[in-house]
Amino acid sequence: MQDEDQRLVARVLASRPPDAVRADFVARVNARIDATEGAGWFALADFRTWTLRLAPIAGALVLVGLLWTPASPTTESPATASPAQPSQAQAFTPASASDWQRDVTANALLEAAFDRMGDSGAR
Amino acid sequence: MDPDRALVEAAAGGDRDAFDELVRRHQAAMITLARVLTGGRGDPEDLAQEVFVRAWRSLRTFRGDSAFRTWLHRVAINVVRTSHAKQGRLRRLFHDEPPPDPPSGEEPLDAALARRQAIDRALAALPDDLRVAVTLRDLQGLDYKEIAAALDVPVGTVESRIFRARQKLKPLLAGLLGEG
Repeated sequence: MQDEDQRLVARVLASRPPDAVRADFVARVNARIDATEGAGWFALADFRTWTLRLAPIAGALVLVGLLWTPASPTTESPATASPAQPSQAQAFTPASASDWQRDVTANALLEAAFDRMGDSGAR
Repeated sequence: MDPDRALVEAAAGGDRDAFDELVRRHQAAMITLARVLTGGRGDPEDLAQEVFVRAWRSLRTFRGDSAFRTWLHRVAINVVRTSHAKQGRLRRLFHDEPPPDPPSGEEPLDAALARRQAIDRALAALPDDLRVAVTLRDLQGLDYKEIAAALDVPVGTVESRIFRARQKLKPLLAGLLGEG
């Protein structure tokens, strides 16, 4: 029964009248092929195509330019420099060097601090 | 043996007359396929033309593993799917418009047109995968192996889809079943 139903439906579907085809269908296909092939060659010379295609690359380059700033000491502003670090303009002294030694003892640190206070008081 | 083989070889070498002959051989099938697969949306003739344009452009890559007809159906299915996706995006963008209503039975139609529309309406009610499979088999006359190649699915899947499609179509085609 099921097979019979399947055959019946298949027969009805197969009896669908074909669609009409316009007489100029082949000519229209050819015109489209010519148009796309012509467009392909002309597109190479078309500056608009190039500018459009290059737009994403240009956008990416602008973005990289905005986000990436080279870290150079000459461009670093005093505001962004770490306040904890001694400035390069400051003279190097054994006392200031001891501030940055990890293994310095509390007494040595105090001593160095007092020494520095004494130095600046003397100046 | 592929009956289109000689024409395909000539067309792949740039012979436009050979390609014209291929278009003439398959134009009606491609328009029917486009009409049924779009379910009333889109312009089937425009899609069929696009199928042949794509076929011409890709003909050099056709290696003859399957018959030209099978390959052309695969191209057509891709063209229709791409167009579907594009239209879907546009509809979502501009608020969905319902598909055009199929003409009601009250309009004066000649018998052939009425029959075609009744079948198209029934097919449009099927899910996509079932509609494609049963259309390729019962309207386009492809065999199970060709359909499997065109859809890139196993033959068993094709058989199952066609079986289920016909089951669903039976009540929808009730008016035509008696006529045979």
